Amino acid sequence: MPENDVTYLDAISQALMAEMEADDSVFLIGEDVGQFGGAFKVTKGFLEKFGERRVVDTPIAESGFTGLAAGAALNGLRPVVEYQFADFISTAWDQITNVIARHYYRTGDPMPITFRCPFGARLRAGPTHSQSIESYFAHTPGLKIVAPATVEDAAGLLRSAIRDNNPVLYLESKYLYRRIKAPGPLSLDLVPIGKARIAREGDRVTVVTYSASVHQAMEAAAVLAEEGISVEIVDVRTLVPLDIDTIVRSVEKTGRAVVLHEAPRRLGYGAEIAAEIQERCFWSLDQPVTRIAARNTPIPTSPPLEDAMLPSTTEVIDTVRKVATS
Amino acid sequence: MSKKHSDRAQEGEQAQEGEQAQAGEQAQATEPDRDLYLRIFRVMALHRAVEDRMVSMYRQGEMLGSVYTGHWHEAIAVGSAAALRQDDFLCPIHRDLGAHLWRGMEPWQVMASFLGKATSPTGGRDGTLHYGRLDLGIYNLPSHIPDNYPVAIGGAFAFKYRSEDRVALAYCGDGSTSRGDFHEAVNIAAVLDLPCVFVVENNQFAYSTPLRLQSRTDFATKAVAYGIPGEKVDGTDVVAVYEATDRAVRRARAGEGPSLIECVTMRMHGHAEHDPADYVPREMFEEWSAKDPVELFGARLQELGFASAEDVAGMRDEARRIAIEARKKSLSDPMPVPDREEERVYA
Repeated sequence: MPENDVTYLDAISQALMAEMEADDSVFLIGEDVGQFGGAFKVTKGFLEKFGERRVVDTPIAESGFTGLAAGAALNGLRPVVEYQFADFISTAWDQITNVIARHYYRTGDPMPITFRCPFGARLRAGPTHSQSIESYFAHTPGLKIVAPATVEDAAGLLRSAIRDNNPVLYLESKYLYRRIKAPGPLSLDLVPIGKARIAREGDRVTVVTYSASVHQAMEAAAVLAEEGISVEIVDVRTLVPLDIDTIVRSVEKTGRAVVLHEAPRRLGYGAEIAAEIQERCFWSLDQPVTRIAARNTPIPTSPPLEDAMLPSTTEVIDTVRKVATS
Repeated sequence: MSKKHSDRAQEGEQAQEGEQAQAGEQAQATEPDRDLYLRIFRVMALHRAVEDRMVSMYRQGEMLGSVYTGHWHEAIAVGSAAALRQDDFLCPIHRDLGAHLWRGMEPWQVMASFLGKATSPTGGRDGTLHYGRLDLGIYNLPSHIPDNYPVAIGGAFAFKYRSEDRVALAYCGDGSTSRGDFHEAVNIAAVLDLPCVFVVENNQFAYSTPLRLQSRTDFATKAVAYGIPGEKVDGTDVVAVYEATDRAVRRARAGEGPSLIECVTMRMHGHAEHDPADYVPREMFEEWSAKDPVELFGARLQELGFASAEDVAGMRDEARRIAIEARKKSLSDPMPVPDREEERVYA
């Protein structure tokens, strides 16, 4: 990799550092974030730069330090909470949903907290280190959820999340951490929360997706382009609030929609997107809205089992081709 | 840590009703302060009068749902709140009306919350016991206690972060100590050395569950395991509560970290007013009825020469009058009107 290239992981690190440099009320808290630099080394060097006051290693107590973030946010700070793996956020469920998510509606007091959640599969990490957590939280009013797919969005959405006066789940794809890169130096421009992105223009079929699946959709679209099938890809970037207008514009143009994610199919976030599309675009649709998602099983560890559980690029190509040509 | 507490930990001694431990070597009786004591008594009397009024409102069918009261918790709520400054952060539960009143909450606002009125602190978006106001430094807790424990340490964290000499104080009941958030909050506060005071209101029952099913040890003893000072006081004695809290607050302000105070009392009503509390042995109510904290402190004021019997009766009448007026106002206040509710979810 060229010397100046910036990875998705670097982007997260640089954005976090920029926000901590810009605002003394921003602090980082979580397990092993300080002297160890985080399980994935996102915060390597932060302790040396900002000290123990702003880079806080905690006991293994997700619920405790999540509630701590709530109390700190109510008293003038802007916490960035790291869960070592998104899977462990389950032990902070009560604090996030009952204390944090509904606090503004109940009281009018803002809760500016960013939750950094390394999430997703394809790393052979098994049932409790690979989960997609978005649907659990998308159902809870009061939380925003972002899931960047690119290096630029990883930086820009994190900065926007930290500046937002609401609790934001920032879903960072640990599969993309070192797999995608952009030429440096990286732009740290803010990316607005709630704005989708057209990742590839096309006119035959729309694929709506997010996070690592955007790259799978891009691969499939390149193959289908050789067959003369023009695929438009909408990277929603933000799940809550969803930029439905951008999705509707694309589907009205193509008349065909496929929703793709690596979370399990049943009540996955794709179900919500598909329902919105059919309610708003019914008279523009030439085909039923189709979902591509993981099987409804836990995420297995062994490569053949995990690969069979998740959408394969072949499955994406075949499904999109079928929807585009039927 | 006093030796007594270390011994207790070894013995695994079960909490005894009304037991009062020595406060340890740090205990030092403060000089009685007439103005402070009279103010404390007025707020304790108001706590009782407002809750008595709300019980009658419940019985008349005026309330939305049940009513949660703190009968025999008045000394804990007011004695602890009185040891704080107004810029400290308070994280109360549903037995602590007096702590709210001490910091400036209006009785009619509390009633408005139980009535779902537009004038409640949440505008009716939450209700019943969820009426905290951040402008008074009071966290408005959800129903999942002790979720307020981790929130309290967050306030303490922010104060330490900015090198301010403010403290946070959180309450929970004997039942709440069994939840993980109790452990996680107290442990984090201990290892991060946060300026926080944890008050455990041991009122013998968690809904219907008695102490023996909640814990093998008393609650002050648990402090030993966290390496922080723990103290057990008579929760019906407002001076004891005030002085124990004052010691803990001083330690926290001085950068000496968190403390835990167990205040022993009795829940003299059901969990809420719909609950006749048939599971409580009658003798317990009879025994504890002699320990009414408001009556006890009224008598103490007279012993100290701070008030006459007439003065005490007059202060209680005044509290009753305020509660009656609060009922009238809250009942006549408007109900909320749904107004673009989906736009109120995000800041």
